[in-house]
Amino acid sequence: MALLEVEDLSVWFHTRNGVVRAVEQVSFSVDAGETLAIVGESGSGKSVCCYSLLGLVPMPPGRIESGRARFAGRDLLRLAPRQLRAVRGNQIATICQDPMTCLNPFLSLGEQLMEPLLQHRKVSRRAARAQALELLEEVGIADAGRRFGAYPHEFSGGMRQRVMIAMALIAEPKLLIADEPTTALDVTIQAQILRLIAEIQARRNLGVIFVSHDLAVVADIADHILVMQDGRVVERGAPRTLFRDPQHPYTRKLLAASRRGRKAAPPPPQREPVIGIEGLRTWFSAPGGRTVKAVDDVSLTLYRNEILGVVGESGSGKSTLGRSILQLVKPTAGSVRLGGTELTRLNESALRPLRRHLQMIFQDPYASLNPRMSVFDALAEPLRYHRLASRRDVTAQVLALMDDVGLPRSAIRKYPHEFSGGQRQRIAIGRALATRPEVVVADEPVSALDVTIPAQILDLILALVARHNLSLIFISHDLSVVRYLCDRVLVLHRGKAVESGATEELWAAPQAAYTRELLAAAPRLD
Amino acid sequence: MTGDPLAQAERGVSLWRDAWLRLRRNRLAVAGGLMLILLCALALLTPWIAPYDYKAQDLALGAAPPSAAHWLGTDTLGRDLLTHVLWGGRISFAVGFVATAVALAIGVLYGTVAGYVGGRVDAVMMRLVDILYALPFMIFIILLMVIFGRNLVLLFLAIGAVEWLTMARIVRGQVQALKQQEFIEAAVSLGLSRWTIIRRHLIPNTLGPVIVYTTLTIPSVMLLEAFLSFLGLGIQPPASSWGLLISYGAETMEEYPWLLIFPGLALSLTLFSLNFLGDGLRDALDPRIAKD
Amino acid sequence: MLRFILHRLLQAIPVLLVVVTATFFLIRLAPGGPFSADKAVAPEVLHALEARYRLDQPLSAQYLSYLGDLLRGDFGPSFRYPGRSVDEMIFTGLPATAELGLYALLISLLLGTAAGVIAALRPNSAQDYVPMSAAMIGICLPSFLLGPLLILVFGIWLDWLPVSGWGNVPGDKLLPALTLAAGYTAYVARLSRGGMLEVLAQDYIRTARAKGLPEWLVVCKHGLRGGLIPVVAFAGPAFAGLLSGSFVVETIFQIPGLGRFYVQAAFNRDYTMIMGTTIFFAVLIVAFNLLADIAAVWLNPRLRQQYRKPAA
Repeated sequence: MALLEVEDLSVWFHTRNGVVRAVEQVSFSVDAGETLAIVGESGSGKSVCCYSLLGLVPMPPGRIESGRARFAGRDLLRLAPRQLRAVRGNQIATICQDPMTCLNPFLSLGEQLMEPLLQHRKVSRRAARAQALELLEEVGIADAGRRFGAYPHEFSGGMRQRVMIAMALIAEPKLLIADEPTTALDVTIQAQILRLIAEIQARRNLGVIFVSHDLAVVADIADHILVMQDGRVVERGAPRTLFRDPQHPYTRKLLAASRRGRKAAPPPPQREPVIGIEGLRTWFSAPGGRTVKAVDDVSLTLYRNEILGVVGESGSGKSTLGRSILQLVKPTAGSVRLGGTELTRLNESALRPLRRHLQMIFQDPYASLNPRMSVFDALAEPLRYHRLASRRDVTAQVLALMDDVGLPRSAIRKYPHEFSGGQRQRIAIGRALATRPEVVVADEPVSALDVTIPAQILDLILALVARHNLSLIFISHDLSVVRYLCDRVLVLHRGKAVESGATEELWAAPQAAYTRELLAAAPRLD
Repeated sequence: MTGDPLAQAERGVSLWRDAWLRLRRNRLAVAGGLMLILLCALALLTPWIAPYDYKAQDLALGAAPPSAAHWLGTDTLGRDLLTHVLWGGRISFAVGFVATAVALAIGVLYGTVAGYVGGRVDAVMMRLVDILYALPFMIFIILLMVIFGRNLVLLFLAIGAVEWLTMARIVRGQVQALKQQEFIEAAVSLGLSRWTIIRRHLIPNTLGPVIVYTTLTIPSVMLLEAFLSFLGLGIQPPASSWGLLISYGAETMEEYPWLLIFPGLALSLTLFSLNFLGDGLRDALDPRIAKD
Repeated sequence: MLRFILHRLLQAIPVLLVVVTATFFLIRLAPGGPFSADKAVAPEVLHALEARYRLDQPLSAQYLSYLGDLLRGDFGPSFRYPGRSVDEMIFTGLPATAELGLYALLISLLLGTAAGVIAALRPNSAQDYVPMSAAMIGICLPSFLLGPLLILVFGIWLDWLPVSGWGNVPGDKLLPALTLAAGYTAYVARLSRGGMLEVLAQDYIRTARAKGLPEWLVVCKHGLRGGLIPVVAFAGPAFAGLLSGSFVVETIFQIPGLGRFYVQAAFNRDYTMIMGTTIFFAVLIVAFNLLADIAAVWLNPRLRQQYRKPAA
């Protein structure tokens, strides 16, 4: 008898613009001590599927159209709200993607931690507190007694997720629903949290439903994998068979996204330096008189037609490094030389004509495009401003740019909000190319995109670098992407360059301890 | 392939069009907008459509309830109430629009400068706004009106001078939020000049909230004028405004309730229309809704 | 926290100084003086009066001596009511005004928050539309219109409630309190609806539900704190406004409060009385803004931490 057995679940959303079939006839089961992974892109219905079991999908507009969910001898979908409440947080608990938004910022952690116990067990506050403290120690929070009264914002992301896990476990549930629990975390932290969940699962014989967009993350922990697309299960199976022999084209696409491999053939080395950075420092003064050394003494040279990866975790200073090179942030010290010109000494008006040689592609294609400008406006603006196109051929040039980045010509009058994330990123790339730059800094250009989209964008970037003889600095936290794209890699840790070298050499023999840790923590499929 | 490749280009839907479509679906806002157009038209056309002369009295008739000759009745001097409500509406609308324009001009300029320049300039400018906020402004306006006489221009300036504070804050907040947006950074890295960035990237994106707040400022300005006139500090007889009519009606409401009710209705109807339109605009222009 | 309060109190000093200075010179710039209205006053008497109230001295001297008096907590004698001091008159009017303001604040906070929260629980349903339409009426019926209408309906036509007075007949406080509260209630309702809608859409509300908490606990414990922050920010200045802005209601219902003094003083050019009431209201505004800020800091742990003394 399975712990949870879901049959034929359908959840639709009845909105003003029609019916959205978020979940269509999904069936699965989970046993005690077993992990079921549900994998799919955003909008595939993987989260709705889980939350609808607990009545946590807003209804209306949501409605459960059909299905059964047997749990502990009862059908969850037919429980009265009161009975369902007695199951939530008690027998079935959830942890969510971003503990920052999922923990109440107005209540202390201790208070939130005790709540499920106080609600579902007849225990005194004192007993609840004792149990909560014990559990905090178990999930690896040192000095729990002192931190009991602290608020969520006083903890780091990883610590918050530990608290979240403790909160889910406190009433000793039988089933844990984990919705992308590591997506918001750095790789090294992600590895720790995954390990923690596995340990606890083994100790308590928990059934776990692990929702993720990344096959590589679930590869090691899942007993079964469910692949969902557009509300339907397109494929299911044990990880090993699924990875070895994927049946559905969508599964193959997902696999390809996680199994990116290495760069095809490195181009013949051209040792023509384009930009030279020497002893670059960018320091900020933080409240309390502290100094944040976001970038601390970094030197590098970028050669023509080369892709240099800059890798680091959040807070490593990789974004600041990119912006300092482009003089979007004024460096504190050091030099940035483009051709024969020292950029750090120029004032804004002297810099302006040079800016067209240095362009940037941003992470969030939603925020990096002016929502009130059409594709034509966005692409024509740099052409006109730098007089790269005459009045007559500006349309032709915009169309050429659109062809270049793979946008349909018919979309020229459309506005950013009418496009998907991947298409928007193409517009942003087109805008960066419009000024015919020599150097482009791409700051996590694919990390805001859905799983199967990055591959297309990365291939576009590779093609454009070759076609336009660009030099690219590619900033990313994702090691597999960097390996796929970059000729050389610079590893950044707390503002300092800890290691740099040719990509494959670095992967084969990482020198610095931090690089080794980073490479080991990255989830891998093979 | 023949002809202009743009010929088959799909027509894009700009955010403005999008907002307009959303606004059109909001029945209350549409009703408010239509009512407002009607009221504005009445106010503009008053000199031609008012049924009686503004100064015409009929002492023999005195205060009479609504009738076929006087749709809204007459006051104690036998003056036609409809005529006076129409003329009063002219003044109320004029005050509403002019004072709001004053607030708009000062507020947007001040807010944009503070938000865009930032740093110490911003700190000083906003400090000043904070101080002004803490002043008992109502009292200052009353004082101004008492001391310098009931002057219409002064009334505009005084009300505008109070209302610009919130506008400045809203615009500054908006500009600050926009400045953090990556598309502004993108514009900087394209090498655009400051002025181009302000003109092409900042202002079009602050316009939404500014329009919304403007629509909501007009009713509060009209309210303020009515309030001052009610106290006898705003518009002076023989000129008329809704606040004055209400004040007069309140004195005689026991015997002649229509003298209170109809001017009150006119004021409330206008405020309703403006507020519903403003709310509708806010919902239509809210970028968070526009995202999905 | 203490440092925060102290900091804010220090900031209040320039504000109050601006108020005092601006008012002082503004009223003296204006044509006409406190005694110019009485045509019958002989020149000698006028001189004597001016000398008595130091009006014959140069402006700067008057200003300085007034500041000196202020520092001792002395608002000076009223120009129009010989023998009565401004302090005395403020304190005779204050009880009625404060009581009225307090009732109105309580009504608006309780009723407004309840209506706003109820509306936010089921947006775009009848449960939302009914209270919010009522709130819109509250906003569009200003007190100087609502007051007379209430009197007309409940006082005259139905004859249920007394139409004026304060504390003379049972029930005579109800209409003025309702009149004064209406607009504020409507604002509070709209603010709390907006705040609650935003908070209820947060992920942590889903977490609270996922714990199996009953709905009332989800709303009251997890929702209200964040959802009411805009209301708290509004309540401070609003209460100051209730105390100073009630002169319409005081006039309509003939309540012996502070409001009437102010308007009279302005008409009479009663310099010290104008100064006194203006400063009094300015202090109120500053004080209630401070209280609202303290409440906001207390409600929001993130702000609280900011103002906590850094650990040594």
